Amino acid sequence: MSKLLLIDDEEGIRKVFSISLKSDGYDVATAASGQQGIDLFQQEFFPIVLTDIKMPGMDGIEVLRRVKEINPEVEVIVITGHGDMESAIQSLHLGASDFLTKPISNQLLSITLKRAEERLRTKKTLNKYANDLWNMVREQTEEIKRRYEFEDKLVQRSIDGIVATDKEGNIIIFNSAAEEMFGYTENEVKGTMNAGDFYPEGITQKISDVFAGKDRKASDIFVGDEASVIAKSGKAVPVRFSCAMLYEGDKPIGSVGFFQDIREIKRLEKELIKSERLAAIGQTIAGLAHGIKNILNGLKGGVYIVNTALKKGAAGWSEEDKIDYSNTSALPLQSRFLKRAADITAERERQQKKMKTGWDMVERNIHKVADFVMDLLTYSKEREPEYEKYNPNIIANEVCDLMESKAKECDVDLIRDVDREMGEIYLDPKGIHSCLLNLVSNAIDACIFDSDTQKQWHVKVRTRCEKKSCVAFEVIDNGCGMDEETQSKIFAEFFSTKGGRGTGLGLLVTQKIVNEHGGTMDVASQPGKGTVFTIRLPGKKV
Amino acid sequence: MIFAKIILKKEEEIMAKKVLIVDDDVDVRTFVSSVVEDIGYKPELAKDGEEGIGKVKKEKPDLVILDILMPKESGIKMYRALKTDSQFSDIPVIMHSGIAKRTFLRSQKALDEFGDQPVPEPEAYLEKPIEPEELGATIKKFLS
Repeated sequence: MSKLLLIDDEEGIRKVFSISLKSDGYDVATAASGQQGIDLFQQEFFPIVLTDIKMPGMDGIEVLRRVKEINPEVEVIVITGHGDMESAIQSLHLGASDFLTKPISNQLLSITLKRAEERLRTKKTLNKYANDLWNMVREQTEEIKRRYEFEDKLVQRSIDGIVATDKEGNIIIFNSAAEEMFGYTENEVKGTMNAGDFYPEGITQKISDVFAGKDRKASDIFVGDEASVIAKSGKAVPVRFSCAMLYEGDKPIGSVGFFQDIREIKRLEKELIKSERLAAIGQTIAGLAHGIKNILNGLKGGVYIVNTALKKGAAGWSEEDKIDYSNTSALPLQSRFLKRAADITAERERQQKKMKTGWDMVERNIHKVADFVMDLLTYSKEREPEYEKYNPNIIANEVCDLMESKAKECDVDLIRDVDREMGEIYLDPKGIHSCLLNLVSNAIDACIFDSDTQKQWHVKVRTRCEKKSCVAFEVIDNGCGMDEETQSKIFAEFFSTKGGRGTGLGLLVTQKIVNEHGGTMDVASQPGKGTVFTIRLPGKKV
Repeated sequence: MIFAKIILKKEEEIMAKKVLIVDDDVDVRTFVSSVVEDIGYKPELAKDGEEGIGKVKKEKPDLVILDILMPKESGIKMYRALKTDSQFSDIPVIMHSGIAKRTFLRSQKALDEFGDQPVPEPEAYLEKPIEPEELGATIKKFLS
């Protein structure tokens, strides 16, 4: 039941209306003057106020004004005298919701009040809507704030430096990792520096191309380039840089750069390279030392033999040989003397032979040193082959001639199989000669190191003209072969399967010479079955 | 007196104990045989295990100095042949090799495990390179 305040100075009207309104279901309070009405209103809330305009003392207009002051939501309906349009209009201006003109029919009154009630209801609903809306806005605002704070923390706590710019390239975000990395504070950077001070040169250009519309979307993300940024201290900081354009819809609005600090990685890389280099040097030195030590042992042995032979060979007549003239029972002096002389001579001869053996050993090892040093030089120096017109078959035959006796000594058949169609090509005869010699001598070693003594070993030296004027040398043996592990190591520095006899340089030098010719070298091998080495040279025919 | 000495010398030569040197490296053979000679024994030479076994049968040496890494795996084969033949297993063997002793023993153990007849460790093991004095002393230890 709606409450209603009725203000009128005429008692008759108050009575009549009260009855009529109560019967309509309103809870009616009445006041006989404007002042009384306001007093009542201040004590109690009435959503609808019905007031007469013309009253002694405080008139209806004033009541309207006061009520609206106290509560602008209240529906105030004024009652005007017949023909008092002016008051009606004034009161509407002041916020009255409706007016009734005397004489007032009950019907009109109830319609007017119903409208007022309808307005109140509408207002209430609107208020509720407004409230809901307000709550929603507040919640959303809080969510946005929370999210912003979260994202800000995300940016600030990132280990990577993050620098974001607006459309003009002004820096708007410069996180703490960036501060730490580049030595500037966010305040120093904001408004004074721009993207170009931190982004790599090419990227800045690309970004401005995107803004200028020259390069749309095509290059809006630049990932993982290594770059260096000049920090405040003037030092270059190595970073891995990624960058993304920021868009609003289709429109680019800025860019963000991510800087990964790679100072530590760079330092470790440098250390690794250094230690790898040291390890390589160490390995080389160990290989060298091993090679030299083996030869040195040979030399030392030779020197020892020569020295002992020298000492013993120098021994001649001694104190004991002084003839004891008093001893007459002994053999005749002369024959004793001759016998001793013959012995000494024989011993000297023996020692001289020994000296020769020792000296041969020294010489052999001096040759080994020379070969070793030559191999090292060939291997370590960049060198152009000394090209000559030459028939590869000649080299094959020369090498076979040279190795014939060693092969025979080791029970290995040396077979020649040269291509009769072979013509002259350009090659370095000395270089290729040493390559082939190396391969044939390896092949013979592979035979004598084979444990299968039932085999009739052979080494075949073959030359072939291949298509596209390519010349191939093949050295084929049926010796001990190599397992895969050995095959993978044979071109490594100082790798040898021959213990003290190998320097671990032979194949390395051979491969290098072949490569210098622009050729290739292949190996195929099976343990226990044998090995095929193939050298292919691009034979420019004369 | 002199005569006596000469005769003695001759006898010494005749009676000199034999040392068989088996090595495929001519430098090593020459060096070791020179040391053997210098301390008064008679060197016999073989350039691989097969030849070595032949010489053992023919010359009946008092000591064998044996390389391991030789053509046809013959160092290891010869050692096993010697030590598993009751006729020769008493002949002391000095291993003389570039391979470290530990490596050699491990390889022998592996062979034993693969079902070969187990063989005793060699009487002495010398790693190359060896000084003549040490080699001489080791040889004397077995022969005098």
